[in-house]
Amino acid sequence: MTTVVDQALDEGLSADLAAASFALARGFSAGATMWCLAPAWEPHAQHIAVEFVHPVIVGKKALPAVALTGRDLVGTARVSVRSGDIVVAVASAADAEVRAIMRRAPAWGATTIWIGSGARPPAGAADHVLWIDDPDPRVPATGGFVLLYHLLWELTHVCFEHPGLLVADPAECTDEVCITCSDEGRLGEVVSPSRSGSARVRTAEGIESVATVLVEPVEPGQLLLVHAGMAISTVREEDGE
Amino acid sequence: MTQPTGAGEATDFLYPFIDAQERDPQPLLADLAASARAKAVESATLRRATLEAGADGLAAAGAEMARRFAAGGRLFTFGNGGSSTDAGTLAALFARPPEGRALPAWSLTADQAILTALGNDVGFELVFARQLIARGDAGDIAVAMSTSGSSADLTAGLREAKRRGMYTVGFAGYDGGQFAASRDVDVCFVVRSQSVHRIQESQALLGYQLWATVHEHGTDES
Repeated sequence: MTTVVDQALDEGLSADLAAASFALARGFSAGATMWCLAPAWEPHAQHIAVEFVHPVIVGKKALPAVALTGRDLVGTARVSVRSGDIVVAVASAADAEVRAIMRRAPAWGATTIWIGSGARPPAGAADHVLWIDDPDPRVPATGGFVLLYHLLWELTHVCFEHPGLLVADPAECTDEVCITCSDEGRLGEVVSPSRSGSARVRTAEGIESVATVLVEPVEPGQLLLVHAGMAISTVREEDGE
Repeated sequence: MTQPTGAGEATDFLYPFIDAQERDPQPLLADLAASARAKAVESATLRRATLEAGADGLAAAGAEMARRFAAGGRLFTFGNGGSSTDAGTLAALFARPPEGRALPAWSLTADQAILTALGNDVGFELVFARQLIARGDAGDIAVAMSTSGSSADLTAGLREAKRRGMYTVGFAGYDGGQFAASRDVDVCFVVRSQSVHRIQESQALLGYQLWATVHEHGTDES
């Protein structure tokens, strides 16, 4: 198992770690809570949470981080996550619960970080993918993930020394006539079933009433693409097919 | 977003990076990536040195643990904070391995009711010792994971384990703390570092290697 000891952090992974840490620092500065998941190796979720809440270096800021464990993680994450929060998962690309949560995160307004090993999740499955490409199923127990989330914590705290970079991006979309948003659909998750052609739908902006005539019938939990107050298509859930 | 305290003060020139006016994140991102690579090299170097220094201990502990598992022995792991989660990962590796035989192993921090009942009623120092009084037998194994090697609840747990005839393994950092000098610890692994994070990364690999060594010996009843 020498591969585990000698695992180098290549340019790509170190750049991914830097970008993820910067996103975390910006999120925390804006009031985010970090929700940690690791369905197959729950102690990793707890290790991340305790790292951020109770730093090993005295004097570093305690940050809001919570491990989500137990059954029905999708439901637990759904009631826990608020817009602007961060979801970090330690899981293989095949983990059905984590896939379902990552797919919904844009509708909840959450930034996502996915740590894992083996086959990578598909492109775009999370905002930040921190991956060890080694296919060995024993990798989660060798300390490789521990190194990654320790670095995430260490780099996040370096970012706090740069307050000027942590304020919200002035170019960010803030109104309804934003060209970026009006050109494409936003992801939404159905909150209550459609009635007389409309449904309550959760998006990154909050819960809104959306016309569902084009996509009916819709059920709670279903994902939709919302464009100008109208659900224009349903989003296929590839798991379970 | 409120401005950080002190932004724009006349002393800002003394701290070029503590600057509320900084706008371009690229230099920071490049620094962060370089820092991540340097820390990873440091971690890998320490892990390699730790495995080399611990080779005899791994061989001895692996053989004795394999013998005990073969005879029906069970493993109890424990630690505080981040180390408790690493102890949890180690117990999971033994009990639900990705490959190979599953062996009876538990983390003693897994049950909140027991942990809080003991912490509240008899004091936190005894949260592990009291569980071992209830569950530990002479043929069993105790693994305590710590960075300081001196946490009172862990030393109390190891003392109780030893008293009951269990085989005791201690993971420590820095100079080994009390674990290194204690007669309650049969084998002590010391990760020679001053960084809690780098110590834990090496301890995770030591734990993994201990599991691998146990399986090299085999755990079938003879």
